[in-house]
Amino acid sequence: MASLLRHLSLTRTRRLLPLSNPPLCNRSSPSPQPSRPPRGLRFSSSLSQITRNLRPTNSRVFCSRSLDLDDAQGPAAIDYRSVLQEDEFHRLADETIQDLQEKFEEIDSHHRLSFRKSFLEYGDCIQIDGLDIDYGNQVLTLKLGSLGTYVLNKQTPNRQIWLSSPASGPSRFDWDQTSQTWVYRRTKAKLSQLLENELEQLCGKPINLS
Amino acid sequence: MLRNLGRRITAVGLGHHQNAHHHNNLAVVGARLYHERVVDHYNNPRNVGSFDKNDPTVGTGLVGAPACGDVMKLQIKVDESGKIVDACFKTFGCGSAIASSSVATEWVKGRQMEEVVTIKNTEIAKHLSLPPVKLHCSMLAEDAIKAAVKDYEAKKSKIQGNVEATPVEKAAEA
Repeated sequence: MASLLRHLSLTRTRRLLPLSNPPLCNRSSPSPQPSRPPRGLRFSSSLSQITRNLRPTNSRVFCSRSLDLDDAQGPAAIDYRSVLQEDEFHRLADETIQDLQEKFEEIDSHHRLSFRKSFLEYGDCIQIDGLDIDYGNQVLTLKLGSLGTYVLNKQTPNRQIWLSSPASGPSRFDWDQTSQTWVYRRTKAKLSQLLENELEQLCGKPINLS
Repeated sequence: MLRNLGRRITAVGLGHHQNAHHHNNLAVVGARLYHERVVDHYNNPRNVGSFDKNDPTVGTGLVGAPACGDVMKLQIKVDESGKIVDACFKTFGCGSAIASSSVATEWVKGRQMEEVVTIKNTEIAKHLSLPPVKLHCSMLAEDAIKAAVKDYEAKKSKIQGNVEATPVEKAAEA
């Protein structure tokens, strides 16, 4: 039993070793982004302390290449060799966010049209008071009046898109090469599907974002 | 990102003279006005500190991604009955992350482990009236609580496993 455990822990170590990264705040080690300005000493010392503590339990790698759905709840140093290249990440994330923005704007204009129409015809339509779409500082905000606010932003260091939803709360999406979509590892939810489902629930009308 | 980091603060070792600095820091960031509870927990974080992570009665939850600057460590001290008798935290992150973890330590104290794993990020976010972008901080606090309980239980079962495994090993050797 003990030897099996030892064997397992060795295998684990071997698997993890190539993935472990020097702590990002350790200024003496080569950094993947050499142009980083130095951080305050207080921060870097406390952070490196924490990062050192993290390393033995590091079981989660923010890797967007293969989809590891086992979302262990430990923090992780990021292995920059296995994640998306930064420019590739920006390309994919910007594309997604811009696409969503356009779709939201379409819904918005449709909403305005149908609202006017309903005003005249008392027809059925999507009615959201206080609908507002805003994109600034790389953050997409969709306000649905009293229904709440969606916020989508890029989290470049871990190559994720973060979503804050009034319905499902916070979630973090990684790019999945296999399905070519953004996937939340914990629930396996796809970004666009999650938004479609929630918006449909909130607005009472089918919403197509693809 | 690093510019943001410059604004980030840590709740570790807040001294009185540092409080003033931190307060100013939040005022600069806080054009959107945080709820008074966030400001209160930020200026007077409860239960800041560390327990010995090797102590078998201690569970340590360490969550976040160092690269984005938010790292939260929450520790619980558990008695025989599974009750959390003490809790502490250290957080490297924004005011909302500090407030979320500070609240989390208050909420877990005196409660059973099975109770605290049901604490949802939404409860923390609601209590602190966090704005939508800051919901992620309350999620981190929820994760930290769960990770601490998980760590405690893993430690406990490892100790029990060793106790049970010893006679078997001896038998095998014999």
